Amino acid sequence: MRLLALGVDHRSAPATVREALAFGDSRLGAGLDALRESFPGNEFVVLSTCNRVEVYAAGPADAAPDVDALSDFISEFHGLRHDAFASHLVGYHDEAVVGHLFRVASSLESLVLGEGQILGQVREAYRSAVDRKAAGPVFHAVFQNALRVGKLVREKTGMDQGKLSVASVAVDLAREVFDTFADKTVLVIGAGKMGDLTLQHLKALNPGRILIVNRNLGRAEAVAARWQGQAVPFERLNQALIDADLVISTTAAAEPIVTHDQYVRVQRARRNRLALILDIAIPRDFDPRIGDLDQVALYHVDDLRAQAEQNLSRRRKGVEPALQIIERETAACYTALRRQQDAGMLLRQLGDRADQVRERELEFLFQSLPQLTEADRAAIAHMASRLQNQFLHHPRAAVRSAASEPAPPDAPHPVLTAVRHLFGLADAPVPKPGLKKIT
Amino acid sequence: MDRLKILCFAGTYGLALAVELARVVVRSPLRWYAGVGLTALGWLVQTVYLANLAWTSGALPVTSPFESVMVLSWVVALIGLYLMVQWPRRVAVGFFTLPLVLGLICGAAWFIPRSTGRDWEGATAFWGTVHGMFLLAGAVCASLAFAAGLMYLAQMRRLKSRPVKKFGFSLPSLEQSERVNRGAVVAAFPLLTAGLLIGVLLSAVELRKGGAGTSHGVPWYDPKVLSAGGMWLVFAVLLHARFRPSMRGRTVMMLTIAAFAFLVFTWVGVEALRLPTAHGPARAGVTP
Repeated sequence: MRLLALGVDHRSAPATVREALAFGDSRLGAGLDALRESFPGNEFVVLSTCNRVEVYAAGPADAAPDVDALSDFISEFHGLRHDAFASHLVGYHDEAVVGHLFRVASSLESLVLGEGQILGQVREAYRSAVDRKAAGPVFHAVFQNALRVGKLVREKTGMDQGKLSVASVAVDLAREVFDTFADKTVLVIGAGKMGDLTLQHLKALNPGRILIVNRNLGRAEAVAARWQGQAVPFERLNQALIDADLVISTTAAAEPIVTHDQYVRVQRARRNRLALILDIAIPRDFDPRIGDLDQVALYHVDDLRAQAEQNLSRRRKGVEPALQIIERETAACYTALRRQQDAGMLLRQLGDRADQVRERELEFLFQSLPQLTEADRAAIAHMASRLQNQFLHHPRAAVRSAASEPAPPDAPHPVLTAVRHLFGLADAPVPKPGLKKIT
Repeated sequence: MDRLKILCFAGTYGLALAVELARVVVRSPLRWYAGVGLTALGWLVQTVYLANLAWTSGALPVTSPFESVMVLSWVVALIGLYLMVQWPRRVAVGFFTLPLVLGLICGAAWFIPRSTGRDWEGATAFWGTVHGMFLLAGAVCASLAFAAGLMYLAQMRRLKSRPVKKFGFSLPSLEQSERVNRGAVVAAFPLLTAGLLIGVLLSAVELRKGGAGTSHGVPWYDPKVLSAGGMWLVFAVLLHARFRPSMRGRTVMMLTIAAFAFLVFTWVGVEALRLPTAHGPARAGVTP
């Protein structure tokens, strides 16, 4: 059995190359079918996201595609010249394939460390391969383990905890303050890019109403139209503050546009309802003392950045334990895979040897007793077949059971060795160490 | 022997609390199942214990302060269990409800008299039980308001810190805690008022029958009556504050905590401090 993973990612290739090699939704099925046709008897999974395009292949040692064959296929399938992407390709062999996939699923290889999307993308890639009958027993085991390890790493290390961008930190804070958003009003002061970006994230919360205040009403109306909001003239800022539950302020004003006393009056008019203010303007739009008011949570952009950095550093702390988990799980998965392969081969050898003996003895018997009728011969052949199966039942069960037991990675299971010796079968091939990353 | 039985479910709740506290360091999803499972087990054992009390006495187990506090802890545990299952798993409900449950059980087991110390019959027994039931329901609501108040204060304190602190667990949103607190306070006040009113009327009727010291009546200057009056006033102020916009948030939550402390004192403090009272078991000189 050989495993190969070949592709490009955000580290090895620029976006143009990744885009050229991508297997989009419409081409993924065709790609898998073409891979099966080009390399029959092999298993394939194609993982294609905006940050990586990887082809995973598994097959018998004498029929599995190598790096050249697979890169030729990629070149032909995408209609690209080889030299347009070959220098960006990264490949992994055998055990390294399993380790790489586990790291990908755990989002250690992602552009944003600990991001959650990749696990779903790995699941989707595997599901597509299963649907196209491109995945077989090897990738069932490897990908199902990858999904489990990805989940395990997140659970054990908290790798997915805490957001890393200012806008998503803001969304997290909104969820800590408010329970429901359908009855909430979001107010954006300023029609800048940052407000737009934050609003894009907050829109996922489905707020009941969005108000946009800007000195230039035309720009406010443009932003409001984009987000199905309502533009409000700057002169009515106080009323908008009274109506709002969540405020995002992004103006370029040189001085605070909302003073402490002003907001005290606003808060009184709001009947002291909970308010979350995200002041992402530099310099500040809101007097920082407003944050001391009861029922008001005020965050400046520096607070949000510090929060994002703290979250990132927490995720980085999880990398080392995550790698330890992955190393352990990779070794276990690959050993189990090899053992399954060994056991499968041994069972085939055992069956073939028994068939040979049975057929030889039947032939000898039928030659020495020519008077036997066809019916007698069929009955004797059937009895010999049943006898063979009954004799082999326990050795076969023992081999299957041994294949699923944990054992040291570099040594064959003693039961498998014993069966080989007892039935005079050829020795198992010595496991090759997993080849290292090729670049 | 009785305390040993109590230790069975109190110990199970204690283990559930330990599992809940472990969420700071243990990230396995099994931890949630262990926490919910242990809380449910403790609740089931407590249910059997209370059912046995009811079976033995032939009445609902609300006839003495001990039984009432046990039932109160049982209801709070059930509400906590419901919230643990209902709210997102990352929310540390047990952090707040389980210590409350354990505190009530331990307080009842070690400091509160077991006996009713009374021999009520007929209508007096009926109205006495109704009086206890209303107060118990009010206490359940007050306990819930207290837990929600603590959650609100902890969450607000966390959100005001820079950068926002990570405890290793999540708290309900401010809005959610505020909503639970508001609902519980609004429900607690009429229930406590009804309970106290029935108690006052019952006492007045009994006093008219036989006078202080000889009947089941409790005179107005009794420490139990005075503390109950004080508690009612605190709850009235709390309800008023709940609907005053300027007092929303921290002030209401602090008042909720004060009101809960008053309720605990009124319910069991008089007996625990051995103050001279003609109410309940102290009348018969029963000691914990």
